[in-house]
Amino acid sequence: MANLVVGVGDFAVSNDPEDIIKTFALGSCVAIIFLHKTSRTVGMVHVALPESRIKPEKAVTMPGYFADTGIPAILKAMNAKGCVTGGNNMIIKLAGGASVMDTNNTFNIGKRNILSIKKILWSLGMGPTTEDLGGTFSRTVTVPVKTGKITLSCPGKKDWPL
Amino acid sequence: MTKSIKDDILKAIREVPLISPSASQLLEISNDPDHGLVDLVNIVKHDAPLTAQLLRIVNSAAFSRRAEITSIDRALSLLGEDMVVGMVLADAASHLFDSSLEGYGGAKGDLWEHNLRSAVAAKKIAAYSKTRVNGDTSFTCGLLHDLGKAIISDYLKNTPAEIIPAIAQGKFNNYSAAEQEILGLDHAEVGLELARYWQLPEPLPSVIGYHHKPDQAPSEIKPLAYVVHLGDIIAMLSGGGTGSDNLFHGLVPEYVDYIDLNNDDLALVVIEVNEEFNRIRNSLGREGVEQ
Ligand SMILES: [Fe+2]
Ligand SMILES: [Fe+2]
Repeated sequence: MANLVVGVGDFAVSNDPEDIIKTFALGSCVAIIFLHKTSRTVGMVHVALPESRIKPEKAVTMPGYFADTGIPAILKAMNAKGCVTGGNNMIIKLAGGASVMDTNNTFNIGKRNILSIKKILWSLGMGPTTEDLGGTFSRTVTVPVKTGKITLSCPGKKDWPL
Repeated sequence: MTKSIKDDILKAIREVPLISPSASQLLEISNDPDHGLVDLVNIVKHDAPLTAQLLRIVNSAAFSRRAEITSIDRALSLLGEDMVVGMVLADAASHLFDSSLEGYGGAKGDLWEHNLRSAVAAKKIAAYSKTRVNGDTSFTCGLLHDLGKAIISDYLKNTPAEIIPAIAQGKFNNYSAAEQEILGLDHAEVGLELARYWQLPEPLPSVIGYHHKPDQAPSEIKPLAYVVHLGDIIAMLSGGGTGSDNLFHGLVPEYVDYIDLNNDDLALVVIEVNEEFNRIRNSLGREGVEQ
């Protein structure tokens, strides 16, 4: 069994039922979780920012950092593991995109991440089935590959499912 | 009742060990806009354990030098001032940084990581200040800003489960307001008192005290207070908080009068802060729980 910890801008894909995929303390970052039904493969990418144009060289070394490069990168990695991405075979879930208490929304990177991710998914004919987004608290995401059941946690709160 | 908790906390501040003379000299020098690396060298040279520690770090795997570094001048210029100040403070206040922040549902290492990340972010933000703000002072203020939490954490045990819903219901505007209600003072005020007790030079104590309300800071320290405020916000947005209060703090919108930062700048700062934070954390080998 391996704990696959997905850092900021990283992604992980596994079809080993013993693996647990985890990402810690999402603030304004968003985790996109892909559950491929027939092959029971799980993918997770930890997106920090919406657009790679801000620093294209970063997207070369860490495509997962940005929504516009992270989604194609993880789909490619899942394809390489034999997931046929299309039709109803993929369940997509989103978590994160939190903010501080920001009345004018000037620092709302979370919201911009969410919007960018959804637009890209839609353009690929995909969309999230479940989401736990926004708010003013961080989220840690845990997915055992065996069950694909996602748990969210946050200091001072009881764990809850996604 | 509130009054007696407040008195206990004020007493607890006075029971915190003082920081070492070389640590307080380093903070004082670093805060002086005209200082150079040579001034730091002069302090470190006279502190044998500190010299040994800096040499150990600079010769550690994280720096992978071919030849062993034996001179403190060379070690300091390789490490850079941020790393030296960070290391010295981490050491001087290790008993506070090592707090598990039980009253915030946090974990050991959270406070250090959050403060370090805020320090790195504040220094980056200083470059976007409309009036000149000293980057080194911004860094130091970031490193210190939430230390008050280590002291009040013990008095906040079992409170997150009440505070979080109360904020959601609008009973409190933010987490500090809840601290005020329960304890009679908040972590920023405790940090200010601690910094004064340690006799840290101004503006450090005041900036710590105003890091969540830079709009109320005296005008001469407002730009710096906003810089540290935004550094803290960026650290919170990264998810690197200190437990249950993590993002329950407000962004003071008037920062736009002091800091010139558009969305693209902010995105670049986020990338740079992550990279620099990882670099310093890995070099100092003071890892938190997990990341
Ligand atoms: Fe704070
Ligand atoms: Fe903070």
